[in-house]
Amino acid sequence: MIAFPGRRSRSVEASGPALVGPDEWRRPLVKWGFGGAQLLLLVGLIVIGLGPLVWLAKSAITPTNDTITYPMALFPHGAAWSNLREAWTNVQVGRYFWNTVELAIGSWFVQVFVATTAGFALSVLRPKYARVITALLLTTLFVPAVVLLVPLYVEIVHPPLIHHSFIDSYWAVWLPAGASAFNVVLVTRFFDNLPREIFEAARIDGAGPFRLFWSVVLPMSRPILGVVSVFAVLASWKDFLWPLLVLTNPDEQPLSVRLPQIQAQTSLGVFLAALFIASLVPIIGFLIFQRSFLRGTGLGGAIKG
Amino acid sequence: MAAIEFHDVAKIYPDGTRAVDSLDLQIREDEFMVFVGPSGCGKTTALRMVAGLEEISEGTITIGGRIVNEVQSKDRDVAMVFQNYALYPHMTVAQNLAFGLKLRKFDKAEVRRRVSVAAATLGLEDYLDRKPSALSGGQRQRVAMGRAIVREPHAYLMDEPLSNLDAQLRVQVRAEIQKLQRTLGVTTIYVTHDQTAAMTMGDRIAVMRGGTLQQVDAPEQVYRRPVNRFVAGFIGSPAMNMVNARLTRDNGDLIVTFGQHRLAIGDEVLSARPALRAHEGGDVVLGIRPEDIEDAKFAAEAPGRTLTVACTLREALGSEVLVHFGALDDGSTTFIARVDQLTTARMGEPLQLVVDTSRLHFFEPASGVAIYGERTHETASGSVAVAR
Repeated sequence: MIAFPGRRSRSVEASGPALVGPDEWRRPLVKWGFGGAQLLLLVGLIVIGLGPLVWLAKSAITPTNDTITYPMALFPHGAAWSNLREAWTNVQVGRYFWNTVELAIGSWFVQVFVATTAGFALSVLRPKYARVITALLLTTLFVPAVVLLVPLYVEIVHPPLIHHSFIDSYWAVWLPAGASAFNVVLVTRFFDNLPREIFEAARIDGAGPFRLFWSVVLPMSRPILGVVSVFAVLASWKDFLWPLLVLTNPDEQPLSVRLPQIQAQTSLGVFLAALFIASLVPIIGFLIFQRSFLRGTGLGGAIKG
Repeated sequence: MAAIEFHDVAKIYPDGTRAVDSLDLQIREDEFMVFVGPSGCGKTTALRMVAGLEEISEGTITIGGRIVNEVQSKDRDVAMVFQNYALYPHMTVAQNLAFGLKLRKFDKAEVRRRVSVAAATLGLEDYLDRKPSALSGGQRQRVAMGRAIVREPHAYLMDEPLSNLDAQLRVQVRAEIQKLQRTLGVTTIYVTHDQTAAMTMGDRIAVMRGGTLQQVDAPEQVYRRPVNRFVAGFIGSPAMNMVNARLTRDNGDLIVTFGQHRLAIGDEVLSARPALRAHEGGDVVLGIRPEDIEDAKFAAEAPGRTLTVACTLREALGSEVLVHFGALDDGSTTFIARVDQLTTARMGEPLQLVVDTSRLHFFEPASGVAIYGERTHETASGSVAVAR
């Protein structure tokens, strides 16, 4: 293949065979026609994908009248930063925000704890009945979540052995979150692919099961912990139905449950500010996780591969 | 420093496969024992049973006189070096080395001291803060060795630790391991399929095949007096030439014939293998090592020692030349001779070769057991022959 200098040829080499070859790109018609189409597509996608978010951010600091009268205008009568302050304090978005954070952290911890310990037991320790348990776990994946709603609720109201209702307690949200077969299967599969020699080396080095889990398996599992964390936090952040059912006290409810009620109590500007605050965490979380977790496998140099 | 003993050890998998069968072996204190054999011969399984990574199905293994069948890996006080290094990827070299010591609750000063001694021994001082991913293959291999050294264990177990290194590095590290083992004086079991490593490193080598032990002896002894065809063919490179032959007597001399070739059997052979006389008039398998065949120009010709052959392939290795030729008339059995580098042998041309008939090997055709004079016996499985 002939190497062409410049960016185009590099990108073609990097991505393999392309729809339009490097030779064709040099023709003006192709260059401008395809280049223009690509640009339009890119702009279109940005507008569709990012537009609503940007509009929300803008409207969160725009007076209600302006948002209603000129929805697409950019601050015709100046910004209203008070929306954010009012949302945070007057309509208590701050409180619901922290409720949501608390629920998310608890759910995240329970999910990661259950997924990693169960995955470790099934994949690394491998008791004789591990295959049966894995099969049972897989079957639960085929049961729709809605079907489980009523039995789960009954169980939370009358938990076996404890005989103390979890209603209006965050445990009612945290504990069911841990019972995620999907996470366990995901983590088990990941652990299955870790090199077993490393576990054997650790056992010979003197590590018992707990030490093996804590000092060897967990540090090697950052990629999958990242994935489970993203799923766990996002699912908890946007969960509406379950918290609505089990958390009846408004002071304990998360944003997802409170936002519809807030809408009736306050002006559009403040409500949009509340929405903006509610969507900040998933967006920032995505940016952070994308950078630090979803990259690389972290197994470099462990074994000769 | 502890002796390791296998007493009638077997490993039987759930499907009934006997990966290791009736293994009886005593490894002395401070000895360097090499398990060698083709893949699937059970050598790694045997090693893993010593490490406690495989359950022992039958028999007992003792380390330092203690039966370890039910003892966990971490309590056996052995250190293992894995084929693919198995370093902890999230720890630095220093942390990798120190991990086993920390788990054994050594105080910090002692951990530091041992890590720095091991690092100095292996030339790793400059890499202590690096992660394994930033090391070359040879350096990773050294870290794996270092992890074993710092523990100062009863025994080292090494599972093909050199197979991932390039040829040049392998020779270098092989020498280093040998030197290290001599200095530290720790009982070592070294598993390899590479017979060169086995020959050069071991105090004794244990040749295995299909889960059963074939022969245990000093390397030169295994080379000179293999107990059966398998050992004879496996140890040595190029492998020993073997051909079905016939023993006859001619003018009072014992002659071995194959194809159109006749070789007179020397007195040394007969005195070393008195049982050979019993095969007179019968079939045997004749074995000749490639280095025992020389170009006639560089060896004293003698009646009954010469082969006239046609060279089918010539491989010049620099220090010597490998000459391939058909041993039988139909060309079905190819022999290799390792001859002097100045040989004039050319492909397709006839060539005179001289065989050192004092070093011929003979095996029984049916069982493959070597014919010596001493008592040779076979076990129930029929494949183990002990010549000591």
